[in-house]
Amino acid sequence: MKRIKATLLTLMLLISCIFFAGCLNYREVDEFSIVAGVAVDKEQSGQYKLTAEVVKIGGGKDTKTTSELITGEGKTMFDAARNMISVSGKKLYWSHAKVLILSETVAREGVGKILDWYGRDPETREETLILVSQAETAREIFDIPENTEDIKSFQLGQIITNEKSLSKAPKTDILQFAIDSQSGKAATVIPTIGLKQAEKKTVAQIMGVAIIKDDKLAGMLDGEETKYLSFIKDEIKGGILTEEVQVRGTPTRIALEIFGSKTKTSPVIQGNDIQMNIDIETTVSIGEISGNGNFIEEEGRVQLEKLAGAVLKQRVEALIEKIKMQYGADIFGFGGKLREDRVKVWNSVSSNWNDVFKSLKINVTATVHIKNSAGYTRNLQESESS
Amino acid sequence: MLNNLFKKKPKDSPTGKEANTAEYLGLSKTLEKNIALFKSIFENDETLVIREFQNKNLKAARCCILYIDGMVNSEIINQNIILPVLRNDLSVNIESDNLLNELMCKVIVSNDVKEKADINEIVGSIIYGDTLFLLDGYDKALIISTKGWQIRSVTEPDSAKVVRGPREGFTESILVNLSLLRRKIKNPQLKFRFKEIGERTHTRTCICYIGNLASMDVLSQLEQRLEKIKIDGIIDSGYIQELIKDAPYSPFETVGSTERPDVIAAKLLEGRIALFVDGSPFVLTVPYVVVENFQANEDYYNNYIFATMNRLIRGFTAVTSITIPAIFLSLVTYHQEMLPTPMLLSISSSRQNVPIPTVASLFIMLFIFDVLREVGVRMPTPIGQTVSIVGSLVLGQAAVEAKLVSAPVIIVTAITGITTLINMNFISATIIFRTLLLLGAAFLGIYGFLLCFIILYLHLMSIRSFGVPYMMNVTKAQNHDGQDAWIRAPWWMMTTRPKIIGGRDLPRQPQSKNEKG
Repeated sequence: MKRIKATLLTLMLLISCIFFAGCLNYREVDEFSIVAGVAVDKEQSGQYKLTAEVVKIGGGKDTKTTSELITGEGKTMFDAARNMISVSGKKLYWSHAKVLILSETVAREGVGKILDWYGRDPETREETLILVSQAETAREIFDIPENTEDIKSFQLGQIITNEKSLSKAPKTDILQFAIDSQSGKAATVIPTIGLKQAEKKTVAQIMGVAIIKDDKLAGMLDGEETKYLSFIKDEIKGGILTEEVQVRGTPTRIALEIFGSKTKTSPVIQGNDIQMNIDIETTVSIGEISGNGNFIEEEGRVQLEKLAGAVLKQRVEALIEKIKMQYGADIFGFGGKLREDRVKVWNSVSSNWNDVFKSLKINVTATVHIKNSAGYTRNLQESESS
Repeated sequence: MLNNLFKKKPKDSPTGKEANTAEYLGLSKTLEKNIALFKSIFENDETLVIREFQNKNLKAARCCILYIDGMVNSEIINQNIILPVLRNDLSVNIESDNLLNELMCKVIVSNDVKEKADINEIVGSIIYGDTLFLLDGYDKALIISTKGWQIRSVTEPDSAKVVRGPREGFTESILVNLSLLRRKIKNPQLKFRFKEIGERTHTRTCICYIGNLASMDVLSQLEQRLEKIKIDGIIDSGYIQELIKDAPYSPFETVGSTERPDVIAAKLLEGRIALFVDGSPFVLTVPYVVVENFQANEDYYNNYIFATMNRLIRGFTAVTSITIPAIFLSLVTYHQEMLPTPMLLSISSSRQNVPIPTVASLFIMLFIFDVLREVGVRMPTPIGQTVSIVGSLVLGQAAVEAKLVSAPVIIVTAITGITTLINMNFISATIIFRTLLLLGAAFLGIYGFLLCFIILYLHLMSIRSFGVPYMMNVTKAQNHDGQDAWIRAPWWMMTTRPKIIGGRDLPRQPQSKNEKG
């Protein structure tokens, strides 16, 4: 009797596990359409227009995966997403979506309300990358002819991932954005995507960022500015610094490859006065010297280091000044830094941080170390002449 | 329920004691009566040969020999029994009155002659290839050892071939087998204890152990279990293996079996006990723990790094052969988000237009693989190749091309099948638990898979073999027991026997000398 009781109890526990364990629907992989990427637009009528790039899988021996676009309209994101079934026939499968592209109009209205469904739904993934379209609509991005990958969304995902050696567009996914906007930061950035004419073909280019202030799009920065933004945020993973030096009257361009960079941001408090110290220390190597001039020897190298440091400092300062003047949005995360280091001071200024930020004094120091000169120890042109 | 079934069994079951011979009276003093007695015992058995003869000088010495044709060496009978008895001038050479004794001591040339009167014993000896010598006027007889039947020569067993190691294997003859073992362990502590099992077959078995290494608990446990066996016949050691098993319903073996003398010798040295069964080249060993499934004799003869790698491969493939289909099924049909995107796309593209659901096609393909495996075993070797060609071509390529099953299912089946064949020791457990896990995954995805996996683990943890936990060593990594489980430690490091097997006289080599390696 005791045995039967124990068995029944175990069975009951196991069976209840089945019903409370969550998603347990058996479905074959060919029963749904895999969504690769989504573009969000807003119609004149006020309805959201969702365009999903869906992977079209051909069976058979020479399998070629292509994509097709499915559009759905609805009052909310979820509504629009569900309405897509009426067009596609198959249920859409969102877990493998790589990118979420917002049109400029949508971003200006507010990003958070768009992302709410996307973050809340169990099937969609929080590591989907967000992009803001510079083109008129977000849908246009999917109209570009395919390039390296058959599926454009996967191609875009690849571009962003590989762009870390360029440092001109940060990688921002939904989780990152949600953390940024929840952790008291007033402003954050999302990389932008634009269309570009190249060799009679339209290609997509991901470069620069959109500044999101108070959940709304405030403005955009180009790729070069984004690089200096990354310097300040200590997010540099690679990239090129170009310098122009006058050698015997002719300008010589030098490209320095960034190997590593460390930025230290520290708040300095003197009474009521708050200042920010930014120390940038970058290690580079000489990647290219297009001209004459000896920059390998000690003397030339030190000179180049000094010059590069000064240029870097100047450009970073210019960027900070521009952000302060034009947007007044703390995209650099100074507020967060202050909260981490001096929470009491932060508490006293957090209510009007945007105003404080505008008048914040920021001291930038930049040091550049040249590590080596890659494969050559002297200039190609010089060695020919000697 | 089961008890009721057994109760209905008819009273005169085949296990009932054989009563025929016991009814006969003892031997009489008349030769003719005795011959008639044996004729009636071996009625309708025409292999019995009866040869009567007389000494040329002593007429009183009327003799008769009885033996079974084919079981004896005729040369010994001719040269050592008939010839001396015929030719010897008994009238001169006989001194005492007891002619039978005189014949035994002075005339018959044999290394093993016994005087017997008990009919049961005599009949048993005749059947086992001895020759019965009857003399007129005596109610006793001589049993002369003349065993000499055809036996298979000692060859390398097909079931366990090695690249490096001894190439001899056990035969069907228990005495040859014991001699093979004795040649490996030259030690008076090596004990042999015979026991007959089988009410009708009277199969000879032999418990074999090293007196000061084996655990006495296990020994007495084994004897008790053998005592309880009441079966009419033992044809192969597999009968006993199943009859003395600890967990009768478990698909896992808790009694080991091997065809190789070197394996038995090594296991005896670890404190285990072996059971030889006449007529079977497979010798049983107890206790048997789970890691022994993954140990091969070659591990100990090859370099320890190579051996360890091979052992890990066996362990890994054992796990994969049970889990791979279930993991594949749950990922593809429940948790597509866990697959990398390119893999999902390629699996999805191979699934296009395939009518049979993944779960059904997995079951079908695994079943077909088992059919092919069984056909391969049953088929005569020349036809076997046809089967593999038809099986692999038709079922592999054609099924995919005809869009009946998707290619990944075929790949999973192939991996499962190959890895199953590496571990033939517990193939029944593999098949049962693979199916169980697959069912769990089919209904509940990864959750069901894990649930069934936990059941498997609990089951393994609950089994014991002669008091030794079956999963011993699997979770241990320290000396004594861990040195020879998932890894095979170098010989200079294995200074002790496994603690829990025999538990006596642990050191196998001096420790200090070997510490420096």
